[in-house]
Amino acid sequence: MTGELSLNKVKKVLIANRGEIAVRVIRACRDLGIPVVAVYSDADRAALHVRYADEAVHIGAPAPRESYLRIDKIIDAARKTGADAIHPGYGFLAEKAEFAAACADAGITFIGPSPYAIEKMGDKQTARETVKKAGVPVVPGTEPGLRDEELIAEARQIGFPLMVKASAGGGGKGMRVVHRAEDLPESLATARREAESAFGDGTVYIEKFLVGGRHIEFQILADLHGSTIHLGERECSIQRRHQKLVEEAPSPFLDDDLRRRMGEMAVRAAQAVNYVNAGTIECMVDKDRNFYFLEMNTRLQVEHPVTELVTGVDLVKEQIRIARGRRMGPLESVMEPNGWAIECRINAEDPYNNFIPSVGRISTLITPTGPGVRVDSGMYSGFEITPYYDSMIAKLICWGDTRSEAMLRMRRALAEFTIMGLKHNIPFHLNLLNSFSFIAGQFDTKFVEERFSMNTYQEPPTDEEIEAAAIAATLVADRNRRLASQVVNANTRDTSNWKWLTRYERMRR
Amino acid sequence: MKYITTINDRKFEIEITNDGRLIVNGQPREIDFLPLGETLYSLIMQTNSHEVVVEQREGEVEVLIGGHLFSGRVMDERAQLMASRRGGGFTETGEITIRAPMPGLVVAIPVTEGQEVAAGQTVVILESMKMQNELKSPRAGIVQRVSVEPGQSVEQKKILITIT
Repeated sequence: MTGELSLNKVKKVLIANRGEIAVRVIRACRDLGIPVVAVYSDADRAALHVRYADEAVHIGAPAPRESYLRIDKIIDAARKTGADAIHPGYGFLAEKAEFAAACADAGITFIGPSPYAIEKMGDKQTARETVKKAGVPVVPGTEPGLRDEELIAEARQIGFPLMVKASAGGGGKGMRVVHRAEDLPESLATARREAESAFGDGTVYIEKFLVGGRHIEFQILADLHGSTIHLGERECSIQRRHQKLVEEAPSPFLDDDLRRRMGEMAVRAAQAVNYVNAGTIECMVDKDRNFYFLEMNTRLQVEHPVTELVTGVDLVKEQIRIARGRRMGPLESVMEPNGWAIECRINAEDPYNNFIPSVGRISTLITPTGPGVRVDSGMYSGFEITPYYDSMIAKLICWGDTRSEAMLRMRRALAEFTIMGLKHNIPFHLNLLNSFSFIAGQFDTKFVEERFSMNTYQEPPTDEEIEAAAIAATLVADRNRRLASQVVNANTRDTSNWKWLTRYERMRR
Repeated sequence: MKYITTINDRKFEIEITNDGRLIVNGQPREIDFLPLGETLYSLIMQTNSHEVVVEQREGEVEVLIGGHLFSGRVMDERAQLMASRRGGGFTETGEITIRAPMPGLVVAIPVTEGQEVAAGQTVVILESMKMQNELKSPRAGIVQRVSVEPGQSVEQKKILITIT
């Protein structure tokens, strides 16, 4: 078997994705000395992943359906450039078994699990049944494909609150929490509609909603030589509308015993589908520390950097290594993470206006740096954020020796992060870091929606800051007015009138 | 030159004298204001150092300072005079329009023309950036006009619903 596997050379990698994750994969390839091919839609000609790649192939119109979701065009791009491997990133085609199979048919190494594993875990219901047989606990719920009347009848058995979920779901689309029986029909309709538009499949099922539940997931790595390990957990309970906003590793909720038991469960669940490559077992943990398998994500996660920072493992490099048929680097599960890492997802969403997405050109960008700070981003000053894709524009990840140190660094880094030209959620993250519940690690998946307000922890600006803002605005307006009315000659006085003002002030001292 | 500058609804009277002194609400201020880039400035007031981003868009000015984003308006003497002749301020027309905050696809319009709506009631569901966003009425009123229909793609700032 190993003889055959060593044929997977991986000499050139095509990245079937865009944004920060495409840049992340490019970096891993660069570190390994592998040339990379980017693909891009009309909307992404100027994107960072295109600028950073060795080669770039245009694959169609901005709508994902006409570009990043076109298996034929992506395989063609790989053929045209001689790429012998494809990394799917997350989202788009990453969890489409059909894509992994098409790669195999074209003789291209898919940097990810087998089509079989994607298929089994991709359908949430099949996944539940499969892991249940391996002795993994699952949340009580129905099978999919039931009609609304049947689901409503089943709901009475399961009890409220419950969750309506899309069978083909992911990323919070087609997912609704229902508290009262009378709201169920409408929620079913919304979930079906969202699932239909997001995945082309309106199949839904219902599941018991665990009150006070935390979303905790385990990072899995498995190679073709029979090793399956976990790299510890990530706490992902800070969510809004089922979209994760902040993740950390380790979880403030787990102790060594729970970590060991959940880790063993996660490894068993992955082994149940002969999983190979990087994957994530998502679990719900209730307040009494009972844990349940939720689903497996058969791909790299958005929040993978927090695991990288507390384990020292480069997950994308490991993915490529595993795809090449080699033994993976770490061989034993990580029971004791090194320090603490927190990730804040920087989204183009207005936290003061119901988190409505914002589009526009990044007019000013200052990226934080310094000890313990990592930024994974796909943007630059002058880059246009379009409405075609996800609103996540960057990830800010901070590491510290302890959770407190990581939080303080995060606060410092958020304050350094300057993004102008569109609305973003940095103020949300700053407020969250002021909240006592977050600082104390006391939160569940409903915390942001039900018990967090932008007003509670807002630090109001000082009088001096408001005055400074007024002065700065006035001085800039004054210069612009002078320039416009040609009171001064632009060439000779453009910046010098500032110096003049400054000099005057210095003279007076 | 005298300016009336409004930041987050707070008014400042700021004078830049011909000899380059800066007077804020009658008080002289010592400042050192240094442009660092197209929109980035360093402002030292007394000894306090502030990094400031100032961006002008559509007659408004946005200022980012200490992690706080302010929006405001700078009016010179002439603009002030014009505004005061018009009777200052703006008059309420009683009509409010719900516009698309970003380009997107109208998924549903849960209200009809002539319907009474409460403040905070969802009037349009707009899909953008893969999310369905509920646009809510800022106050109670009656739906006067529905200008779009489900399935329609709309540009940013397109009027969707008019409420009186």
